[in-house]
Parts: sequence; structure tokens; C-alpha cells
Amino acid sequence: MGELDLKNLRIDYGARMIIRDFNLAVRNGEMMSLLGPSGAGKTTILKAIAGLLAPAAGDILIDGQSVRDVPPEKRDAVMVFQKPLLFPFMNVAQNIGFGLRMQGQPGREARRHIGAILALTQLEGLEHRKVHELSGGQQQRVALARALVLKPSVLLLDEPLSNLDANLRQRMRELIQTIQSETRMTMLFVTHDQSEALMISHRVALLLEGRLRQVGAPRELFYQPADPEVARFFGGRNFFQGHVRDGKLHSDLGVFPVGPQNGNGHVRTATIRPEDIRIAPRATGQSRGLRGRVVKTRFEGSSTRVVVACGANEVMVLTPEDAFRPGQEVEITVPPEKIRLFPGD
Amino acid sequence: MKKSSRRFFGSIVGATVGLPFLSLVLWSFAERWFYPALWPQAWGLRAWRYITSTAGFQVMTAIGHSVVVAAVTAAIAVVIAVPAGRALGQYDFKGKDLVSVLLTLPIIVPPLCVAMGLHLWFIRLGLAETYAGVIGVHLTFCLPYAIFVLWGVFANYNPDFEDQARSLGASRAVVMARVMLPMILPGISVAALFAFLLSWSQYLSTLIIGGGRVTTLPVLLFALMGSGDRPVAAAVSLVFVAPAFIALLFSARHLGNRSLAGVR
Repeated sequence: MGELDLKNLRIDYGARMIIRDFNLAVRNGEMMSLLGPSGAGKTTILKAIAGLLAPAAGDILIDGQSVRDVPPEKRDAVMVFQKPLLFPFMNVAQNIGFGLRMQGQPGREARRHIGAILALTQLEGLEHRKVHELSGGQQQRVALARALVLKPSVLLLDEPLSNLDANLRQRMRELIQTIQSETRMTMLFVTHDQSEALMISHRVALLLEGRLRQVGAPRELFYQPADPEVARFFGGRNFFQGHVRDGKLHSDLGVFPVGPQNGNGHVRTATIRPEDIRIAPRATGQSRGLRGRVVKTRFEGSSTRVVVACGANEVMVLTPEDAFRPGQEVEITVPPEKIRLFPGD
Repeated sequence: MKKSSRRFFGSIVGATVGLPFLSLVLWSFAERWFYPALWPQAWGLRAWRYITSTAGFQVMTAIGHSVVVAAVTAAIAVVIAVPAGRALGQYDFKGKDLVSVLLTLPIIVPPLCVAMGLHLWFIRLGLAETYAGVIGVHLTFCLPYAIFVLWGVFANYNPDFEDQARSLGASRAVVMARVMLPMILPGISVAALFAFLLSWSQYLSTLIIGGGRVTTLPVLLFALMGSGDRPVAAAVSLVFVAPAFIALLFSARHLGNRSLAGVR
């Protein structure tokens, strides 16, 4: 079992409130990401769950039992830190066996567990290495193995990939995913990298300024952000205002059919993702798109970011074609079904 | 640096350190050595025989006193310096600057003043002319050094290791013994070594507080040097520097390969 429940958690640092009214339920066997910019208090929450700092208010439940008064060493939640933090005076096997030794497991059984976990984390053959002889990726795998071998109800991962280079990150992410789906261990994965969160988890919880903004499946957060700030965090641009009349959004960018379920009359904020807008050089003759002029372009490799001035508005477009230059007259098309209307205030 | 120039500088350093000892070694084996002879005119083991047989008991007792005093001083210094260094290195608190000034005071103020001032107090407290008193006055010099060493150690110490250990199931006490201690062991060795050697070489403060009753090796050495018997004084001097040499070799061997680099 491995259910984690955080109820009305408040965490203070000195006189400063870092986390307030934090509610989150992680289901058994779930891989949940806690996503937020640096300094949002993600690590603080993990430390509170692990018992390394005491919340000012609220409760933490593991499998339905409050663990507020349980010291960290007795909690069934193990934390893996951003840095590997391998004990330098022990070799790989001793590091992995540290927790088992704390539990008083007999040597033979411990060795069996360590062997199994070495295989799972692809560390076979390295058990007698000194930790400073390992590469960064190997060190992080040992840190992961050291926590996994304890089979905790909840595994807390604090940006364990952030010190690795891009290739290694990808491999390590896949490894964590594989391990998670094999062991069905409940994991709470902290990261500031939105694509990492979307890739790795069943559900994502977005934390902005000490508050949980939205919890849901990766696609839900990406395609149906709860508010403009959530959309902005996931790379959303192009926010514009308009009012809805008879199922149509009347805005500066034009009139778009948005469906009859949207109420009438209110001024609403809408957004369209840059990659959803189509852009083309202006054609002579009849055109059905919005006319504009390229203000600037930014080449990003597989795509190019183009800022287009349409009247008083600037629209950002992400296109796979690197065919536009500043000053060029273009035509953009906004597919109405890709417009996201935020609930009114 | 090139190998040849490294060898050159190495031999200069070796010579400056080694040459004074050479003359001590020569003197300790000299029977007769008068000006202007460059080498002793007669060689012999008289001095060594004297300090091993005639004065052997005296020398051995003095060495024993010195070892006990220095070891106890070093042990107490480390026991106090570990928590003190941790507090100074890991936390910010009011009056930290004041503490650092106070810590340097026993080093800045001439040892004579410290010893004289403490003597009056120690007489009142019944500590004068006792081992406890001598260890106490040695601590005033050794403790600041030990604290400074461990302050530096703890300034580079990452307490996340302890959090990690606790999350892995280690209790507070186990974390101290199994994680913190091994991590700072090199620092503890250096601090203990410093304290030991500093106490080992104390003469003035031992003489003032011990009042001649506590005869450590330096006290005996000064007495022998005062008697004008140079070969004997040289031989005792060599005995006196022996632990420093052993300590140096030990630290070079032991601390050299205990680098924490690359794991933080």
C-alpha cells in the first residue's frame, strides 16, 4: 500500500509562510509529479512528508495514518535528494545496504535485496566501487537504489535528474518510469521542468507561489489549464480578451465559434498555443486568415518562433518552417477548436 | 612545474627543515666538539647512554607526563570543539563575531600574561601545581585552534547527508555516530593533532601553573639545557621532536588519501 494524503498543510520558514492550504492526495501505485518553478517550496513539502521538518499546521497521512508525530526514521516515506549524497566512506553496496542495516536485516537477506536492486538499477558489477569512482549518473542511480531497496510506501524524489546532462537525464527518466511500472511504488516526483513532469507522471500537481493551482493528468494541464498562469507555465502565450455572444467569441483577433455552452456577455480571457496557429506568406487574392507583419523571429532548431503584429496585437507563432523574416507580410489562421477560454471571474 | 625544478625546490625546503636537525644529531653523538672544528672531534654515545640509563627514569617519567597531559588536553579539546565548530560552521547566530574574537584572544594575548593571570585563579581554585591545572591552561591555547579547525570543517559540511540518513531509517544518535563522525574524522584528526602538539610543546605555562611539580618533557629539557651539557640537551631535543615527526608522517599518510572531493 502507498497512499499519501496531505491535508491543509502549512509550512513556515521563520516568520515567512512558504506553503499554505496545501491539499494533495497521491493514490496507491501512482507516479505523481509536483511541478513548480524554483523556490516554489516543492522541496519543503517533500521534507515535511519525509519528516525532516515539521509543518506549522495540517496533517500528513500515509495509508490513512497520521504521521505527524512519527520521526523521519520510522516513516514509511523515503526521500531521494537532488544531490546523490552517497556516504563517501562506504562503497556502493554498503551505501545501498545502509537502510537495511538500520532496519537490522540479517546479512544474507540484505545481500539478496541489494543484488536484486543492483540489477533493477543497472548497477551490477559496481557494488565494490568507491563512490568517488562513479560517474554522476551512476551516483544518482546508487542514491535511487539506496531508497528503493527499502520498498517504502511512498518514495519522494527531489529533482533527482537535475544534475545530469540531457542524454543521461532521458535515460534515467526512462529507468525511473520502468522501475515505477514494475514495482508499482507510489512516487512523488518533484521537478521544475514541465516537459519532464508531463513525460514521467500519471498525474501532475502544479505549485505556483506556495499554492497548488491545478492537479490532473498531463494532457489535462497542458490542454485545459485552469487559469492563465498555469497556461503560461506550460509555455502558453497569446492571451487575449473577448466576450461571448451566441456561441461566438468576439475579440480583437476576430470572431471565433466557441460552442454554445459558454455563457453570454462576460469578458473572458482566451489563449491559443503558439504551435496551434498556422502561418503562411500572404497570398494574393482572397484570404480567410488574419493579416499581419513579422516583427521578429527566433530560430530554435526544429521550430522557429515568429512574432507577428496583427493590428494592435502581437501574436506568437511556433512553426516548423524557417521561412519568415522580419518585415514580411504574412497571414495567420487561428483554429477555433484550439482556443482555450478560461472560466470567467 | 617541471620535475627538475620541483626537485630543486623540494631540496631547498628539505634543507631548511632538515639542517637544524642535522646539527642536533651531530651534537647528540659528540664527545668533544670545540670551536673552530667543523665536525665533532670525538664521537660517542655518552649523551644517549645518559638519557637512557642515568637520567632514563627522569626522561621516561617526563615523556609519560607529557603524553598524558597532551593526550587528555587533545581529547577534551576535540570533545568541546566538535559541537562548538558545528554551531559556528553551520548556523548563524547573534554574537558569532564576538565569539570568533574571543576565540583568538588566547592566541593574541602573550601566553605569559594568560598563564600568570590564570595562576592566581588556579591557586584559589586549588588547581595550581596539579595535572588538572596544567591541562586547563594548555586548553586555553589548544581549544581555539581545535575549534577553528572544526569550524572550517563544518563550514564545508553538508547537513543534507544527515537528513538523507534519517530518511533512510537512522535515528539521531546513529546519524551522529555513523554519518557525522566518519565524515568529519579527517578534521577531528587534524584538530586532535594540533592540540596534542601544541600541548606537547608548552613550557612556560606548564612551568607557571605546574610550579615545577608537573615535569613534562619541555620542563626537563630546559633544566638539562641550563646545565650546559650540550650533547645531552641535543639528545633530549631529538626525543622531544620525535612525536611531531611521527604525527607528521601519520597525518601525511592517513589524511592524504581521505579526500572528500567529488562526492559532495
